[in-house]
Amino acid sequence: MLYAFVLIVMQTVVLLAVAPLIVGLIRKVKARLQCRRGAAVFQPYADLIKLFRKQPVVSSTTSWIFTATPYILFASTLAAGLLVPVFMSTTPLNFAGNIIALVYLLALGTFFLMLAGLDAGSAFGGMGSSREAIVASLTEPAMMLSIFAIALTAGSTNLSTIVHKTALLEGIVTDPSPHLMAFAALVIVAIAETGRVPVDNPATHLELTMIHEAMILEYSGRYLALVEWAAGLKLLVFLTLIANVSAPWGIATSMEPAALGIGLATYLVKVSGLAVLIGFLESMFAKLRLFRVTDLLGTAFVLALLGLVFFYVLRG
Amino acid sequence: MPLMTPPIGSQLVDLGSALLLLTCFAIVAQRRLSACVDLFALQSVFLALTATLVAFLTGIHHIYIAATLTIVIKAIVIPRILKKVIERLNVSRELVMHINVPASLLICGVLVMIAFLITQPIIPFGHLLTRDSLAIALAIVLIGFFTMIARQKAVTQMIAFLVMENGLFLGATAATYGMPLIVELGVFFDVLVAALIAGIYTNRLQDTFDSVDTAHLSELKE
Amino acid sequence: MSDFTMTIAVSLLLLAPLLAGGLSLLLSSSRWLHVTNLTSIGTLVAAEVMIARSVLGQGSLTAFGEIIYIDALSSVILFIIGTVGLACSLYMRSYMDEQVARGVIAPKRLNLFFFLFHMFLLTMVVATVANSLGVQWVAIEATTLTTTFLIAFWRRRESLEAGWKYLILCSVGISLALFGVVLMYYSSLRVLGDVSSALNITQLQQVASQLDPHILKLAFVFLFVGYGTKVGLVPMHSWLPDAYTEAPAPVAAMLAGVLETVAVYAILRCRGIVDQAVPPAFTGGLLAFFGLVSFALAAFFILLQHNYKRLFAYSSIEHMGLAMVGFGIGGPIGNFGGLFHLVNHAFAKSLAFFAAGNIHRRFKSVEIDEVHGLTTVLPWSALALLIAGLALATLPPFALFSSEMQIITALGSSGLPGEWTQPGTRFPIVVLLLCSLVAFGGLLYRIAGMVWGVAPKDIVPGEQWSVGHVPIILLGAVLVGFCWALPPPLQQLFEAASTLLVNW
Repeated sequence: MLYAFVLIVMQTVVLLAVAPLIVGLIRKVKARLQCRRGAAVFQPYADLIKLFRKQPVVSSTTSWIFTATPYILFASTLAAGLLVPVFMSTTPLNFAGNIIALVYLLALGTFFLMLAGLDAGSAFGGMGSSREAIVASLTEPAMMLSIFAIALTAGSTNLSTIVHKTALLEGIVTDPSPHLMAFAALVIVAIAETGRVPVDNPATHLELTMIHEAMILEYSGRYLALVEWAAGLKLLVFLTLIANVSAPWGIATSMEPAALGIGLATYLVKVSGLAVLIGFLESMFAKLRLFRVTDLLGTAFVLALLGLVFFYVLRG
Repeated sequence: MPLMTPPIGSQLVDLGSALLLLTCFAIVAQRRLSACVDLFALQSVFLALTATLVAFLTGIHHIYIAATLTIVIKAIVIPRILKKVIERLNVSRELVMHINVPASLLICGVLVMIAFLITQPIIPFGHLLTRDSLAIALAIVLIGFFTMIARQKAVTQMIAFLVMENGLFLGATAATYGMPLIVELGVFFDVLVAALIAGIYTNRLQDTFDSVDTAHLSELKE
Repeated sequence: MSDFTMTIAVSLLLLAPLLAGGLSLLLSSSRWLHVTNLTSIGTLVAAEVMIARSVLGQGSLTAFGEIIYIDALSSVILFIIGTVGLACSLYMRSYMDEQVARGVIAPKRLNLFFFLFHMFLLTMVVATVANSLGVQWVAIEATTLTTTFLIAFWRRRESLEAGWKYLILCSVGISLALFGVVLMYYSSLRVLGDVSSALNITQLQQVASQLDPHILKLAFVFLFVGYGTKVGLVPMHSWLPDAYTEAPAPVAAMLAGVLETVAVYAILRCRGIVDQAVPPAFTGGLLAFFGLVSFALAAFFILLQHNYKRLFAYSSIEHMGLAMVGFGIGGPIGNFGGLFHLVNHAFAKSLAFFAAGNIHRRFKSVEIDEVHGLTTVLPWSALALLIAGLALATLPPFALFSSEMQIITALGSSGLPGEWTQPGTRFPIVVLLLCSLVAFGGLLYRIAGMVWGVAPKDIVPGEQWSVGHVPIILLGAVLVGFCWALPPPLQQLFEAASTLLVNW
């Protein structure tokens, strides 16, 4: 019981602390690739502190949904984060749910964010919400399928079991082909879900293209801080998922301090590596037109489907 | 002389073949021609790595030669030729597709399944290093075949042909640890000459038709 | 005959086109180019005669440490390559010179033409004599590469299109065949274990019965589809009419007469190995089915043609289909019929394309409707066209008729092979007879329209004698001669080859 409590606190702290760092790291990499010096890696922390100090301005036309959404979004994303093995193979909320719960916790946050975007009644918010609806409805099946493909190879939908099994296996994963397909699909899904280039550009406020930024256009002060933090958290959750499901080596399998230390260190290395990779990808590609996004997500879906099929064919 | 334990070795070979298949899908999903060429070069690098791995695991030396040739011819020379062709022709994208991207990917998925079904009966027989490589090789051949039908640009068709060759080479490496050297050299020579000839053709087609869209090649009809 | 002379003969076979190809790039006068060409092809034919005699005497022979393997079947194919090649070379003497004189091509491009022509010959010879199935594949793919520019030689829009189509379709098809070769190697490695010679026909034939039937079946399907594209079997035939129409006449004659035959040979070789492990009904069924489909479809397409070169192209598909049916049914009669059909078709089709080339040069049109009154305009070519046309329409007493009859007899006596046909059904024979009737009518109707009638006014009548008429007369004489008698050595060679086909 105590262990569980300690783990919950530790994982919460790690997730909350690392999320802004990842955002800062990606910005730094992109800046460097554009031959700028860029803001410091820790700039997002300063931004969050600044925003928390400011007084929020709330439009008089909005309902309770607008003010409740940041809290719901933040809480659901954090809860999702606690379902994923981060530096240790057992997850704090292991008893509460599996991959499916994870997917729907994330979807809950997205749902409320879309509602909030519509709630303010501005043209941009509505546009952003409708675009997000398209993207979300396309990513979700791909995401489910890719996670299922991985779950099948491990024989469980419990993330902790999946990671634990894979981490303890001698050699690499049992069947590389389904794993690789699912991994590729998951990367595309992560990019789409967290609003990165080529699906969305987090650095733009150009009304023709923005998706996520359009939905949160009306937010300010601590509400904005919460939403931004939740966005960073979501990105981190996806990176963690990708890192630990496809390459869980080094993760702690027991509560010993040494194992935990190694687990934390490898986790930070893996996640920052992925963040740098995302920075590179964002610099290499241009944003896709909205109607081309379906091609990309269709690709993810088919890849995930193939991962599943491969699994059955290979076992068949 | 197995220096690695066979399971890890064969898994790595499987991983290599799976990466080849993945690049295949990327080529099918890609519209920009120069990106297709890059992906093909990447695929050839994966192919060479897989072949090197097989050579290392089995200790058959002439596969190293084939792997080196793959790098030189398929990852460096042919992509350069194709890039030059693209530059000269001033075409960058596959604009009109007979079959859109997700549908082509689904068809490719079906092709992969067919490949697995076809090779299923014969896989248990051989001294195979891996279970999947032969099936994946056939899948790549079939996907190349399909891409050739589904895409119109001469350059894309050429890339599809080369992808087929990559699949064949993977099949030869995975199933039989490489063909006899003389055959392999001959195949490389043929592929290189085919790429050169296709390059010359695209130039001539450009001069004569002002386009390399093979849809314009429709003057010969029944 | 001693081994040494045989080695020399085989080296001549390979070196003659190679050296001539190299020389063609260096020489500058068209006269010397033709001399080189004729010398090379003459050497080729002489070497073939020596080899064929030796093969008749002592069965198969190998040379250069089992790199080369020649038996009666390959000798027949070599015979076709040599004779048709010689006829084409003679024809080119006047044909190409006239194209240069008329300014259709720059004199410089003759070098390229002859170089490619020799490389084409070389690759076909290699494909025929190679012992390794892998080398055979490489050579057949190389025939595609060497001929594509020959087909696109005039560099018109249509010829570029035809060349490109040919390159792409055949390369793709041939790639599938390579997968078949890989599978074949895969199966033989398990038995032989020897890496370098496990694809050699000599080795494979010894162990063929121990090979795994599943793998061999799969391998044969891929090989058949691959080389079948090259043969032009339906549904992989769509490159063929375009290529034959656009290629220069001697090239078209080589494609139709020789290249297809070489591709058939490759299929037969693989079949000889597969059949020892798999019941022959499997390969026979595939061959006969696709042969029958090609025959039937091509026969109806003949009716629709209004371009005489396409007419001959479809007639090629038709005859290749018929030969495939013969090989598919197998047995002494079927195999002999198929083989004899291949030979006769090669002669008749090259004669037809020579005549077509003459007509094209005079009338400047390939439309049947614009060509009338050949008897007054080009009497010799008209006679050649008539002979070739009658032979291709399988009119008795031409030899094509007798080989067709043999195939039909074989079909009647043993029925179509394969699991999917009911024994004793007459349906295939009825189809075969009906379609041959259709083709007969279509071909004769079109050719009669061209040969007789009133010539258009703007066409100058009269045919001048040229070297190009020598091969026409020779081929015509051979075709007519085959109606009555086959020279005994040839008869022996064909019989040896078909015995080989019956029991490998």
